[in-house]
Amino acid sequence: MSYERELLKGNTDCLLLSLVNDKPTYGYQIIKELERRSNGYFRFKEGTLYPALHRMEKDKLVEGKWQVLPNGQERRYYYITKKGQAVLSSKLTTWQDFSTAVRSVLHHEAA
Amino acid sequence: MSNQLGDYLNRFQGSLQIDSAIKGSAAQELGTHLEDRKRELEESGLSEEEASKAAIKSFGPVQLVARQIYKVHSQGTWQDAFLAALPHLLVALLFATYYWQNILCTSAIVTVVTCTVIYGWFHNKPLWLFPWLGYYLLPVIVTGVLLIHLPQGWTWLAAVLYLPFALFVIAYIVKQAASRDWLYVSLMLAPLPVACAWLLALGRGGEFLVNVHSAQTDLNVPGIVASLLLLAVASFSFIRVRRRWCKAAILLVPLSMIFLATTLLSRGNIGLWGWLVLISSLLLVASPACLQIRS
Repeated sequence: MSYERELLKGNTDCLLLSLVNDKPTYGYQIIKELERRSNGYFRFKEGTLYPALHRMEKDKLVEGKWQVLPNGQERRYYYITKKGQAVLSSKLTTWQDFSTAVRSVLHHEAA
Repeated sequence: MSNQLGDYLNRFQGSLQIDSAIKGSAAQELGTHLEDRKRELEESGLSEEEASKAAIKSFGPVQLVARQIYKVHSQGTWQDAFLAALPHLLVALLFATYYWQNILCTSAIVTVVTCTVIYGWFHNKPLWLFPWLGYYLLPVIVTGVLLIHLPQGWTWLAAVLYLPFALFVIAYIVKQAASRDWLYVSLMLAPLPVACAWLLALGRGGEFLVNVHSAQTDLNVPGIVASLLLLAVASFSFIRVRRRWCKAAILLVPLSMIFLATTLLSRGNIGLWGWLVLISSLLLVASPACLQIRS
């Protein structure tokens, strides 16, 4: 597995929770928003998104609810739960500490 | 929805052996996503066929998606696992305390099993229900086998009256279990070959059921309890593991061990009919699991 894929795999939950935390959203919108915010960096097989969302729902980090749109189409929107918010907050702190530490080491070597 | 997308979703549902409500919801969710992607591609100038192909390609192999969704939903909670092991533990307790001949204790266990099955059956058939269903079916099967020992003439009459009823009950319950996941049929029927093996091993002169010595049974209580504990561990692990081939192996290994141990204990005591019943029950339970391992 490539380094990039490993990094993405390790941070999938954090990325998805972060997007769902901003506003309730559905699978297709998540994919589009990930691509948009990362300037096309995050692109993965779209089918693999749903196992991750279902896993997070089973872990009670998000809650999926079917909603009928005005045009009659049904979409499954994901809402973050309190547990999801707590996990996201913890993951963000860990990520920021890790990122700061990596940057410090790299900058030290460069100096 | 285009034929290609419909075909993709049908293959997805065909590859996914989980609760039908969850499966339907997941397929609908994937379908909405594929439609959104297809619409976007069509707006960018692709034909319907090209857009459908591209949408499917961006989604990834259907087997992989189904396998990953299965892994999420196939694992029960620790509570599910404990409840799945509980009927084996209760029956083990009945033997370990030597109360297996006490009509009150046995009736209490049968009542608990019946009430639990009725509760689970009408509450969306949770994962833990299937081992309980196995014990619920045992009296139906054992009663059928007991009819062999009725006086001559009566056996045929009883068979004509009882067999259709028993077959209907068994077929209906097996069909319901298989509609959830045919691997659950193995989990459900796991107590059957174990019960047959012990009844045959303890029977006198190869006769089935009627001449089981209570004294000999008491002597073999540690073995019976060990078999039931092994089934409890297997049921617990079955609910907790995610991969299908692991679930299949978890059932086959202890069943083979119990089968081997009891036939060795019988010291050639099992007659032709006994072997026929024993092998049939083992094949019935093992075939879904064997098919899974082969696939």
